[in-house]
Amino acid sequence: MATAYAAAVQELIDCLGRLPGVGPKSAQRIAYHLLKVDATEANRLARAITEVKDKVGFCTACFNIAEGELCMVCADTRRDAHVLCVVEEPRDVVAIERTREFKGRYHVLQGAIDHLQGVGPDQLRVRELVRRVGTDEVTEVILCTNPNLEGEATALYLSRLLGDVPGLTVSRIASGLPVGGDLEYADELTLGRALEGRRVVESENKEH
Amino acid sequence: MQLRHLWLTDIRSYEFVDLELTSGLCAVLGPNGVGKTNLLEAVAYLALLESFRGAPTDALVRAGADRGIVRGEVTEAGREQLIECELRPNGRNRVLLNRQRLARTSELLGALRVTIFSPDDLQLLKAGPSARRSFLDRLVVSLDPRQDAVRAEYERALRQRNALLKQTRGKLDDAAAMTLEVWDTKLVTAGEQLVARRTEAVSQLLPLVSDAYRDVAGIEHHVHLEYQAPWREDGLAASLQRVREDELRRGVTLVGPHRDDLFVSLEGLPARTHASQGEQRCIALGLRLASHRLVDQTTGAPPVLLLDDVVSELDPERSAALLASLPPGQTLLSSATGLPTGVEADQILEVRPGTIVEV
Ligand SMILES: [Zn+2]
Repeated sequence: MATAYAAAVQELIDCLGRLPGVGPKSAQRIAYHLLKVDATEANRLARAITEVKDKVGFCTACFNIAEGELCMVCADTRRDAHVLCVVEEPRDVVAIERTREFKGRYHVLQGAIDHLQGVGPDQLRVRELVRRVGTDEVTEVILCTNPNLEGEATALYLSRLLGDVPGLTVSRIASGLPVGGDLEYADELTLGRALEGRRVVESENKEH
Repeated sequence: MQLRHLWLTDIRSYEFVDLELTSGLCAVLGPNGVGKTNLLEAVAYLALLESFRGAPTDALVRAGADRGIVRGEVTEAGREQLIECELRPNGRNRVLLNRQRLARTSELLGALRVTIFSPDDLQLLKAGPSARRSFLDRLVVSLDPRQDAVRAEYERALRQRNALLKQTRGKLDDAAAMTLEVWDTKLVTAGEQLVARRTEAVSQLLPLVSDAYRDVAGIEHHVHLEYQAPWREDGLAASLQRVREDELRRGVTLVGPHRDDLFVSLEGLPARTHASQGEQRCIALGLRLASHRLVDQTTGAPPVLLLDDVVSELDPERSAALLASLPPGQTLLSSATGLPTGVEADQILEVRPGTIVEV
């Protein structure tokens, strides 16, 4: 099909269409919407995107979202550096912070093992996690990946990988979270309870 | 369980259909090729969320339409439920139960249960093991809708593991070996659960299947069923270890429930190779009838029965015997040749090109 839109509009539709969860139809709809709204509104969106890319990046310690070198959690010296909570995405940090139950620090894997999407351990921040566990004063790692197949597989992989580190306790967030779901959809109370009821999984390597 | 009302919009050959259905026997009549099976397929879609004929979504939507809708009102034990399916060839299908969008389609399973008899059932005996595995898996879900999650988990673990095997291109470094072991663990856990469900279903079906055969064939013959999983003796974990080299070379999982089979024998001989065409047809019908009775016994409500052109496959006497042996409940029966003598329908629908009328 020949391009039916002006080049600039087509470019916008293409860019929007590459966003996660936006299909070709939604991309078209959003593009039309942006054409209709007044310039200040559209510029605000454009500025927000530029600003986020200029100012915000990933924390050099934990790979959470950060304005500057360190994220809010890593920059906070009151946080317990002995305990690391391993999550898939920055949005999971937000979910766990909402519970106010966790006083340690995070490690954001930036995904989960998912070979169907071409993601293995090498594509995740696993090497950085191993390095942190080896050098920092970390004594406990809590695996808080999502309670779905890929999240469970990632937790199992990490528990085996870290199971032999001397003096390190590895635990998995308690079940009771809705199976197949995402951490971010769990309510604070459930998530807080799941954190509190975490189970040590370091015995995994022995049965092996 | 009864489907009381059915609406079709842009489904197969139908632009719009609005049908009220009675309980008991509903005959769907019309010449071959006019679209009788399409109607039964649409009813089954409300239960299975897929075509029982294996047709893709775009084949179900009327040519030229960008979406099709199947709606059905189901009553069971005084409870009314509305199932609505929107089929989009170029997008995600949507399913609503009582006007609530379902997050997972598995939440629907069980709102309508169906048993389907079709001429394709002969493939249960003639075709490869996958037809028999999906027969068992559908039976497991009809008995307990929650079990669909077990099958889904196994299939997903299998796809992940196959993707990894393909990506290793035959070479397994330490990191990949560790990841593979993780998927082995996941596959073993889900696989053993899945097979436990399947074997349980087989053992429940077994006492019913010879009786069902007799009701369909009119002869006493012994039908035996055996779930075959060659890996079971050593366990799935050990069996995976044994074929590892082969799997790496071929980039695919070589043992597990996805390669199991349901072995069927008639009078001690393998039905697939030793039974006549007529006997195979009776075994296939017997398997359906037995599973229908089993679901009826277990859930306390017979599924809606869809008999697609089955009477043309049997002689009139056997057709009448089959119909007489069904547990009471709603039945939709399609036929190009009319009803067998002595069988009375509670409702007759006549299928004409693009439309259906009650007569
Ligand atoms: Zn940080």
